[in-house]
Amino acid sequence: MSAACKLVAPVPHERAWQDFHAQVVSAVGEAFNNVVLHGYAGRSDGPIELRISTTGGRIRIELRDWGSSFDPSTVPLPELDALPESGLGLYIMKSFMDIDYRPGHPNLLKLTKRLSTTPDSAEATEPKA
Amino acid sequence: MKFKVSAKDGQTTLAIAGQLDALTSPDLRAEIDSIVESRPTRVEVDLSSLRLIDSSGVGALVSLYKRARAEGSRVEITGLRDQPLAIFRLLRLDGVLAGAVAKLPDEPKHPKSRG
Repeated sequence: MSAACKLVAPVPHERAWQDFHAQVVSAVGEAFNNVVLHGYAGRSDGPIELRISTTGGRIRIELRDWGSSFDPSTVPLPELDALPESGLGLYIMKSFMDIDYRPGHPNLLKLTKRLSTTPDSAEATEPKA
Repeated sequence: MKFKVSAKDGQTTLAIAGQLDALTSPDLRAEIDSIVESRPTRVEVDLSSLRLIDSSGVGALVSLYKRARAEGSRVEITGLRDQPLAIFRLLRLDGVLAGAVAKLPDEPKHPKSRG
């Protein structure tokens, strides 16, 4: 994932890129964990197909799995003030990247993010409930 | 993930290096139990060598924080940087835990206010 992020930016050591990298790595890690822990819950193995493409300052990651589906819109936002110990994965994903989920066989999760050159470029955005 | 625990004068330091994630955080469970049960005055969680954390790793540290506080210990997380710092800021752990994250670098405040 780090190598893919480097393809997005010609100067991969600036602050914006560091934030971009941290957020992409975080979101994709949570997406992968969700498939393993929930999509393939109770199974010892299962395939995950990962496709990464980078174009014009943007990275797009597609994860396909053949496990259980879910509806991201029904997952409540965590109550951060209550210091939750779980239920944070989807929030991290939605905050750090744009996500599009299509249930099916396979399930398809698309994660996209653009590296902007403005100072606030890599800020997280509040996910919608 | 590697971790090291040292105790001196009522203070316990838990230094974690590498990746603290869904795969490795269960390895910390016994150590967290031991730290909480020893009821030190102060627990420092040194994350200066932590390269990556995910929501499971955060859950383990929040558990330590809650349980140690319940036993009367003070908890401080130090050395946050890079990806772990981005996660802590997103989850507002620097704010919610009040003095727990004592030594954050002086960088941008939280992303947009939420909620």
